[in-house]
Amino acid sequence: MPSEAEEIWRYVELDLDLADFSLPERNGTPPPELSRLAAALPEVSGKATVSDGAVVAAEGGDVAVRPLLEAVGEAPERVEAVYGSAIPVEHDIFTAAHHAFASDAVVVTVPRGAAVPAPVHVTIAAVADGGISFPHLLVDVEDGAEASVVVEYVSQGDVRALVVPHIEVVSGADANLSLTVVQNWGYATTALAQARVAVGRDSAVRIAEAGLGGSLSRLHLTVDLLGRGSSAEVLGAYFGEEDQTLDYRYFMHHVGLNTHSDMFLKGAVEDEALSVFTGLIRIEESAQRTDAFQTNRNLILSEGAAAQSVPNLEILANDVRCGHGSTVGPLDAEQHYYLMSRGLDGARADRLQVRGFFEEVLARFPVGGVAVPVRGWINDKYVRAQAAGRV
Amino acid sequence: MTPALKVEGVRAKLGDLEILKGVDLEVPFGEIHALMGPNGSGKSTLCHVLMGKDEYAAEGSAAVGGREVMGLDVDERARAGLFEAFQYPVEIPGVSLDELLAEMGEAAGRDPHEFGDRVERAATRLGMAPFRDRAINSGLSGGEKKRSEMFQLAVARPKAAVLDEVDSGLDIDAVREIAGLVEALRSEELGVLIITHYSRILRYMAPDRVHVMIDGRIVRSGGPEVAEELEAKGYEELRAELGLGPNDDGADPYADLP
Ligand SMILES: Nc1ncnc2c1ncn2[C@@H]1O[C@H](COP(=O)(O)OP(=O)(O)O)[C@@H](O)[C@H]1O
Ligand SMILES: [Mg+2]
Repeated sequence: MPSEAEEIWRYVELDLDLADFSLPERNGTPPPELSRLAAALPEVSGKATVSDGAVVAAEGGDVAVRPLLEAVGEAPERVEAVYGSAIPVEHDIFTAAHHAFASDAVVVTVPRGAAVPAPVHVTIAAVADGGISFPHLLVDVEDGAEASVVVEYVSQGDVRALVVPHIEVVSGADANLSLTVVQNWGYATTALAQARVAVGRDSAVRIAEAGLGGSLSRLHLTVDLLGRGSSAEVLGAYFGEEDQTLDYRYFMHHVGLNTHSDMFLKGAVEDEALSVFTGLIRIEESAQRTDAFQTNRNLILSEGAAAQSVPNLEILANDVRCGHGSTVGPLDAEQHYYLMSRGLDGARADRLQVRGFFEEVLARFPVGGVAVPVRGWINDKYVRAQAAGRV
Repeated sequence: MTPALKVEGVRAKLGDLEILKGVDLEVPFGEIHALMGPNGSGKSTLCHVLMGKDEYAAEGSAAVGGREVMGLDVDERARAGLFEAFQYPVEIPGVSLDELLAEMGEAAGRDPHEFGDRVERAATRLGMAPFRDRAINSGLSGGEKKRSEMFQLAVARPKAAVLDEVDSGLDIDAVREIAGLVEALRSEELGVLIITHYSRILRYMAPDRVHVMIDGRIVRSGGPEVAEELEAKGYEELRAELGLGPNDDGADPYADLP
């Protein structure tokens, strides 16, 4: 088991006994209708459902959305070249286990030049109590293609599951992709997710994550800006309640010339929740004329809650513009006074401030339809905390 | 007649710093009073203490339309009919002015239709329509912020309004515009205390009375001629006349700046 002594696991105590979990026997059982986003995405250009790691439904159109075996049948060389290539086996025991046990994947292929306005909706569910599962999503965006993918993680509240999802994204040249992850795990689920995005020449990716559920939910994201002129916008909104741990390890890796990145994450914690953001921007010697920014802002809403925010830069090139900002603190007292002076009681003023705090990032979420329910869920979490007198 | 605002013996401290040393003031309904004074004399502190900002230790009495507000929470004072227009309105990114107005309407228990109409009319009159979808005070110029304060005042319909330097930092056209807006608010249901550092804005409006605050006390009260006197003499001469001595109490004239 990784320990807190390792930098990459710092601040988080992994209180897991792998012996408590087993590979579900009936994996592939279609989950009950767990998606909470379907209504927010009335139009999709494809969808897939993964249950305990097995693809139980996949349906595409202009974008191909297929289970792994079918995708291999269609394009064996391509799938073999990219599947499982992005996230190293030896990273930790969870990635190693993923490589050893993942047996299926959703493969989304956006063909050359296709412009697909409606998102592809991939629901990844954990169903079996006590199950460990290894869902896998591969998104292959060919040259000149444009698409958006929405990944929704769900499990029922009482499902004690361990999930190790891997998302791999590969973009060609002149491509445009958005990836939105809505993490809505039930509160008994532990998720240790990896995502890696490779961005080709003159391509732009936008990545957004809403962190809502999970007892412990970790996302280790690496973006490799490989192609000249490639860019990435990375957004995050997370809200930890009660004893949740939300853990983000983000790596922005500039390799190509003239690459741009902007990370902007906002989070709140209440009661005894913990959030961690460690962000590393690494600019290789080859990545001249690069700009890279990262901002992480955190609200501490209760005394027992904590947020770690650690931005880092590693710059090997000299012709670059970089910036980072990080804050951890309570709701702003001057804003609070101003709002109360307009007749809003303290609780109402707090709610408006929390809403405003997140709106700055939610307004930038690439799929507007997703931001709508996320806004509501964050508000619900805060209202629950207010009702329980924890904030 | 019950006045719109009646302040009696208000004292305020910030830690060990005694800022207000006993302020008495009365603004009848239908009147506009000016409160003038040098930087650091305690004008903004008076506004905040009346509104109930909790960082000050305050004592004394303040009644809005006859209702004592000292001891009430900030929002209760607002609902009792007190409005503070801020010298430095805070920016609230991510919350639009319209959202705030909706919350104000709900908090005040207004009929949404009637309140909505009121917002529309005030927005049109004050040219605020383009700002309603924008975040509160975010990226607004100094003048736009003050206009937004006046807009919220018009919508809130308080009994007593304290306007803290709604003229500072504005060019002369904007000062004239704000003065016009204040005069337009004059009504039998409202008393206004307009706070200013300079007498400039008073040229474009007709205050019923002018009060001068120095070192946390009102040292002069009278008709509009008090402003003229002050313009001719300056605060230092008035200070000397009153035997207050030069302003050497260590007050930082810029302490107030954001
Ligand atoms: N929040 C504060 N922190 C420190 N000093 C303050 C604060 N508020 C007021 N003061 C001090 O109190 C005095 C009065 O300030 P203020 O009420 O802002 O004056 P005015 O509005 O007349 O310029 C000044 O000496 C100022 O430095
Ligand atoms: Mg002032």
